[in-house]
Amino acid sequence: MTKKDQKMDFPENSCGCLLDDILNAEFYDTGTQGERILIPPDVEKISHEFYLRHLTDGLPIIPPTRERVCKFLEYSIQEGEDVIAVLPPRQGRATVEKIAINAVMAGCLPSFMPVVEQTIRALGEEKFNLAGINATTHPVAICTIINGPVSLKLGIGRGVGCLGPGNLASATMGRAIRLCMINIAGAVPGVGDHATHGSPAKYSYTFAEAEEESPWEPLHVERGFDKEDSTVTVLGLEAPHNVNDHRSTNAEDLLNTVVHTASTAGCNNSHVPGEILVLLSPEHATALGKGGWTKKDVKNYLHQNMVVPVKLGDRGGRRLDEQWVEGDEVLITRSPEDVVLAVAGGPGRHTMIAPGFGSGSQSVTISLNQNNPS
Amino acid sequence: MSPRLVEKGVLNPLADKEVGEIDLNPFPDDFERVALVDNTKPGANVILATLREALGNRIFIEVKKAAGAAATLNQLEKAASAELAILSLADCGSCTSWVVLDAIRLEEMGIPTISIVSNRFAPFARELASTHGLDDLRLLEVEHPIAGLSVNEVEEKTLKIIPALKYILQIP
Repeated sequence: MTKKDQKMDFPENSCGCLLDDILNAEFYDTGTQGERILIPPDVEKISHEFYLRHLTDGLPIIPPTRERVCKFLEYSIQEGEDVIAVLPPRQGRATVEKIAINAVMAGCLPSFMPVVEQTIRALGEEKFNLAGINATTHPVAICTIINGPVSLKLGIGRGVGCLGPGNLASATMGRAIRLCMINIAGAVPGVGDHATHGSPAKYSYTFAEAEEESPWEPLHVERGFDKEDSTVTVLGLEAPHNVNDHRSTNAEDLLNTVVHTASTAGCNNSHVPGEILVLLSPEHATALGKGGWTKKDVKNYLHQNMVVPVKLGDRGGRRLDEQWVEGDEVLITRSPEDVVLAVAGGPGRHTMIAPGFGSGSQSVTISLNQNNPS
Repeated sequence: MSPRLVEKGVLNPLADKEVGEIDLNPFPDDFERVALVDNTKPGANVILATLREALGNRIFIEVKKAAGAAATLNQLEKAASAELAILSLADCGSCTSWVVLDAIRLEEMGIPTISIVSNRFAPFARELASTHGLDDLRLLEVEHPIAGLSVNEVEEKTLKIIPALKYILQIP
């Protein structure tokens, strides 16, 4: 499908489902078979058909009609047939059009398309190791963190419940990524996705950093971007685990609660150390900032103190990598940089931690600006 | 003729595959140097040690690499210094991915390979190899599970695949 085929007269940024969209669209067809009136497909029927073909995550989908997909393509600076990445294990060609089709199915708005498209581009980078992430028995999901002005513009969840339900952008963009994994990468459970239990985080795992709530520079600035840049960071992570600390009155005590929660033997990091997400609530971040701790201080402290006993660390799927052993303990991160520190969430003294895939995957941050026509 | 109501069509979300084209390398008639590629999964080293014994008096090049991730270039080059390579063990999702993908990388370097795969992950291994254009990548299936077993139990399962190994290699 090329750009010149795509001109449709839909209200700005509608998904193509509104009554106005349907009435404005061309709905008469006078072909050789006589006059036909084209009507939107039955949502329940299409959902069920797609479900039976293993093309969904189990939830109903928005039928990807040509009109709807065209709306999404208008938000890409590339042509529909352009290949953004080749995604394993199926080696599916992630064209702009296929990404758009899956984003429509997920319930995205057309304006979300550049973020979804760039997320797929990031997942195609070698160091992310999508071949391992998609196929593993480990319950690793794809987490995306959005930074910069686009997160406010699109209304991506950054405050109360940012990891949970209730936000259109977060819910549908995360879902679009999962549908792309199923339909482009072939990460169908039991076929190309062999996660022993799967994970609820595989439905959707997208949020924005609450940059205005952080006492420190945001994640994308730490990684070399300007504050006014918009970026997406992709990480291979387990579902998040809570760190409840309401009573600590100094930074060290608070961080020790994080350390204790994160230092567990059953995660991949215990035998092949790698990245871990530490998502501080604004209250926890403020407490650390008020205590005079810089972001670097926090990352150093967590790196040095998150350890597990060697005896317990060497029980994972891969043999314990001895270079990370110190005495009778093993570090769960390779360096302070492996502590991916961000701030998000609403009121409350909770932090979330999510171990990664171990040394087998490295997060990727890329700019959203280059692909945003607005 | 009255107009008919017709539902609009929907587009297909499934992507086309980027299918590779690679030729499988034949085994040499005789060989001295065998690379044993251990991805450090539990039991992988026991399987390789058992196969090594069955292969007799040859030169064995031991390569250790991380399961679930690509072998480094150095690891691949070390394995490619042999005349053939045996990779072990594909008994989970990510390790199956990278046993097969590393085997394909070695085949691309001209080294014939045999990959040891648990029977539970063999269909995935075959599909993956096929996607990369190697329908006939050599896989030897051991009975799942391997992890959590004693050395004796792993050896017992490995002994069952030795006749197939010798047949593939055409050795007595």
